[in-house]
Amino acid sequence: MAKPVTQPPGRSSQSPNETPLVELKNIWKVFAGVPVLKGINLNLMPGEIHALLGGNGSGKSTTMKILSGLYVPERGEIFLGGEQKVFHSPNEAHKNGIYMVPQEPHIFPHLSVEENLLLGLDMDPRAARAQVKQLAKEIGFESSFSEEAGALSIANQQLLEIIRGLLRKAQILILDEPTSALTFREVENLFKRMRTLSQRGIGIFFISHRLNEVMTISHRISVLREGRIVLAEPTTEVNSEKLVRAMLPADAEMRDMKRKVRDPRDQITDEVVLAVKKLSSDAFQDVSFEVRAGEVVGLAGLVGAGRTEVAEAVVGLDPNARGDVIIKGKDTKKHDSRKSQSLGLVYVPEDRHAHGIFLELPSLYTMTATILDRLGRFLLSRKQEEAVGNDYRQQLSIKMSSLHQIAKTLSGGNQQKVVLAKALASKPDVIILDEPTRGVDASARQDVYHLIEQLAGQGVGILLISSELEEIVDLSDRILVMYQGRIIKETERAGASLQQVMAAAFGLQGEASL
Amino acid sequence: MKAQAIKWIKTWEFGLAVLLVLEILVLGAINPTFLNLENLLYSTSDFTHILLAALPLTLIIITAGIDISGVSIMGLASITLGLTWVAGVNIFIALFIALGVGILAGMFNGAFVASTDVNPLVITLGSLFMFAGIAMGLPGLLDALGFKAYGAAGFAAYMYEGISGLPHNFNQIAHGGIGWVPYPLLIVLIFAAFLGIILHKTRFGRYLYLIGVNADAARYSNVPVKSTLVTVYALSGLGAALAGVVLTSYFTSARSDLGKEALLTIITVVVLGGADIYGGKGTIVGTLLAGFFIGFLRQGLLAMGVTSDVVPVVVGGLLVVVVALKLFITTYNQRRLNQQALRISEERR
Amino acid sequence: MSRIWRSRELLVFLLLIALLLAVGLINPNFWRTRSLMHILNSSLILILVSIGEMFVILTRGIDVSVGAILGLSAVILGVALNAGVALPLAVLLALIVSVLAGMVNAVGVTFLRVPPIIMTLGTLGVYRGLMLIITGGSWIETIPTNIKFFANWHVLGVRFFIWVTLVIVILTTFLLRRFKKARYLYAVGDNEEGARLMDIPVKKTLFAAYTLAGLFAGIAAIIFVAQIGFVPMQAGNGQELRAIAADVLGGVNLAGGVGTPLSALVGAIFLTAVDSALVFLKVPGYWNNAVGGAILLAAVYLDYRVRMAVAAQQRQARAAVRKENNHLNPSTSEEQT
Repeated sequence: MAKPVTQPPGRSSQSPNETPLVELKNIWKVFAGVPVLKGINLNLMPGEIHALLGGNGSGKSTTMKILSGLYVPERGEIFLGGEQKVFHSPNEAHKNGIYMVPQEPHIFPHLSVEENLLLGLDMDPRAARAQVKQLAKEIGFESSFSEEAGALSIANQQLLEIIRGLLRKAQILILDEPTSALTFREVENLFKRMRTLSQRGIGIFFISHRLNEVMTISHRISVLREGRIVLAEPTTEVNSEKLVRAMLPADAEMRDMKRKVRDPRDQITDEVVLAVKKLSSDAFQDVSFEVRAGEVVGLAGLVGAGRTEVAEAVVGLDPNARGDVIIKGKDTKKHDSRKSQSLGLVYVPEDRHAHGIFLELPSLYTMTATILDRLGRFLLSRKQEEAVGNDYRQQLSIKMSSLHQIAKTLSGGNQQKVVLAKALASKPDVIILDEPTRGVDASARQDVYHLIEQLAGQGVGILLISSELEEIVDLSDRILVMYQGRIIKETERAGASLQQVMAAAFGLQGEASL
Repeated sequence: MKAQAIKWIKTWEFGLAVLLVLEILVLGAINPTFLNLENLLYSTSDFTHILLAALPLTLIIITAGIDISGVSIMGLASITLGLTWVAGVNIFIALFIALGVGILAGMFNGAFVASTDVNPLVITLGSLFMFAGIAMGLPGLLDALGFKAYGAAGFAAYMYEGISGLPHNFNQIAHGGIGWVPYPLLIVLIFAAFLGIILHKTRFGRYLYLIGVNADAARYSNVPVKSTLVTVYALSGLGAALAGVVLTSYFTSARSDLGKEALLTIITVVVLGGADIYGGKGTIVGTLLAGFFIGFLRQGLLAMGVTSDVVPVVVGGLLVVVVALKLFITTYNQRRLNQQALRISEERR
Repeated sequence: MSRIWRSRELLVFLLLIALLLAVGLINPNFWRTRSLMHILNSSLILILVSIGEMFVILTRGIDVSVGAILGLSAVILGVALNAGVALPLAVLLALIVSVLAGMVNAVGVTFLRVPPIIMTLGTLGVYRGLMLIITGGSWIETIPTNIKFFANWHVLGVRFFIWVTLVIVILTTFLLRRFKKARYLYAVGDNEEGARLMDIPVKKTLFAAYTLAGLFAGIAAIIFVAQIGFVPMQAGNGQELRAIAADVLGGVNLAGGVGTPLSALVGAIFLTAVDSALVFLKVPGYWNNAVGGAILLAAVYLDYRVRMAVAAQQRQARAAVRKENNHLNPSTSEEQT
């Protein structure tokens, strides 16, 4: 397996009895009844670049949000230089020298760079300006200060955020997926600056899912999985393989073996219900694939690989997409989502709150939103509508006090079922499911898996997008892996192992077996 | 059955109904003529134009939009009615032309809102000015375009005085009635029934709620957002035009500046009726009740000797109090729910 | 991006020049200094109200009561003067009233969390009503000449109030550019959530915005009373709408964070010039509203198209960067080995 090209630099201070800059002890965090962090123990030494690795939903962002004051943990303590602290707001974290650079920098697009840096700062303006100039030079921030911040590249916006943190005398910087929108050169630049900061004694938490970057820049790596730390070692003592292994569920091998025993699905026909040819747009290039009736095609990859963008383009929600989309044999030219639905293709969006569900309205309204024209000629037939609602309520085992329960009050799992009901109501022949089990509890998850198997059995073609690799590998007949806008791997389920898929998702190719 | 009844009692509309009854009783205690049903019904002609504009505005506010150009459309419809009649057209055909103009004006608003991301407030602000201006300039414009009018002075003669001397059967619209029920009230009730059915019983009405709660999700759910918006603003234009026609009949004079003062009252009626300015909430019954409440309130204040100037003070103050109250209630409920959820998650562990 | 907006004021200014030229060609009287000065003089009230409104719009809010605040202050001023109150005191009184009126809005929006449109719509009614109550429904027909004097006082050949307004515009522009707390207005409008995270006092900033709107309406009221010489019942009616139109025309973005007093200035002068131009073109005055409304609609429509074009451009630029990126490192595995 590949070894890191550059050894991470040694830390400036190496004494073993140093007090950590910050320690998190036994942190528990619960969201809507679901524990997301289950006893996290983490610390950061002065001058250390500590990487946090983990799949989507593993808890790395949540942990850092607690550290930066956005969330308060249900249990556990935070120790800053030996003293226990509680942060109720980002302001308090700032005052204690902790600063988080979010994945999407918070800037004031119409204000100048200088103002973005200095507004809200409690410092003498002249001293502040001098310090800014100094820091900018150290950090390599090259923009003019009078330029409008909105015009800055994302890379520079991130540097701006870092300078903000340093201005507030941050001793601890948290970088949340800083490289996801950067070019190769910009990443190199960022790393250079991070090393400079590390030499100054500043500790950095570096959240990422890019293995090679993590191996290059960090001193220590902690891997999170399902709310727990499963590996915490100096970077020099790990390699990619070990990391990938750590991120897999414990029973990965067992599951791989189990699957080989199951029967291949025999209801897959030759009929191609969805064919995508050389689809390209801003976020992806040359994507081509097919889905057959009764087949489940899994689309794996990390956040930012472009899967949702592909899905939206296939459905017709991207006016800039080029390429061919053929639904049930009918070539669509400049189609929109209405046409897709009429041809038999529906899309269950990734962000159900933003695009899928009508939170303030009765759940029934969401379920029937796409088929209202079938529920009565001039007047909406309440009877018919409720019949549809009850039908899916039963079929999907949706737990609600009544069809009219306001969607906002349902649990995540049941909300997702409501959105699924909406998709199923139009009796589609092809369904694109985008992260269908995100934020869904265990038992509802099983229901969703069961539903997918059922639908496939009925001859529906399914494109399953998920960041949970077990899901993909368990349910799919064929697996596509996307990385940075391209499909880089395609395998039949029989030949795939979790390890391989995971590795491909991280951009590592070429391992035939372990 | 009992649970249903209790739920109904908790609604905003029920509260409004109770308030309305109380108001009539209080006003009646001060001035017994209020309790005379015939008088009461007759007095509604004073404010039916507010309701005619406020009812369809409710639909727009449900979509999280707004339309402040209605008051200008009122004048535009009125002057169109008058001028067309003066040009020799039968008064009732002129009436329909006026309604048509209102619909077209509304469609203009709707098209602008649907096809750009510009704030509907700004759009209807611009059209407020534009329609008012067109209404004023229409007489001169028609003259210039060579249309013929009764009287040697051409259309321009009517510019400042308006057009009076309208046919008696037209004036009956505002002054006649069936038994004790005046025609304007009848028109309002029919219009309200029509809009009520549209809002609560058709898929178009459902689309309005969906768009108001989450326009993006509506688009993803294949709701025909654009055409729905154009239609709902057209309905608002129709309502405003109807109001203009009724006012014209009431004052027996067609003028281009009818209804200018009504904007504040119209919006207060919609908000008091329970519609949420951020979209997704509102009912026809609520707006109707609120309309009567404020209408009778104005009457009552006037009857008590309060000058018509104080009325806007009360109305304005009422608006603020109602909204602030609603917000307090929602935040209080939210906090309670959150605390409940926290307790549950802690117990789970 | 600011280049586009800064040139928005420039653009409107150029349009203004174009308008003046065009109208002047048809009716050369338009080009006389007197007429141009008259336009400037007539636009002072609108300029001031528009600047006040600008503060609120910068924070992504709206205030439809500024016209009523103007009317109310004017009424107070008229009544005070007629009651024999000394001029400076009467002026102070009017300003205090306008500031208080603005503060009521501020309290409603920041503490009661009432949506700005509703709050200011409510106070619109209340203040108009108060106006009528105080005057008993009649116009204030006569105003002591002491204040009217200022309207005609020429200093260095230019009217006193034009100087005053000019100074105010310059002062406000300067303060908004340099004074740190003033920049908070832009921050809050640009990204309220971000402002909160950056330790910027959001509530105080919003409070200040609505209070300032009231203050400027009060200043405008003083000029109104002095210029017009009496206080009609409908004083200030519709001024808020014209102010919003002037702001939007001049480049103040309703979404917040963009705009300067120059925007208000240029927009207000433009609208007033349009009114005047129509007079010189022998177009009857009642077309003012129609033309004003049409111009506003045209302006926001064009603005929309420009924004869409710019966004498309940015998107393509980002896509190009991504393509380049993929060429440079097609797959990381190749770097690894």
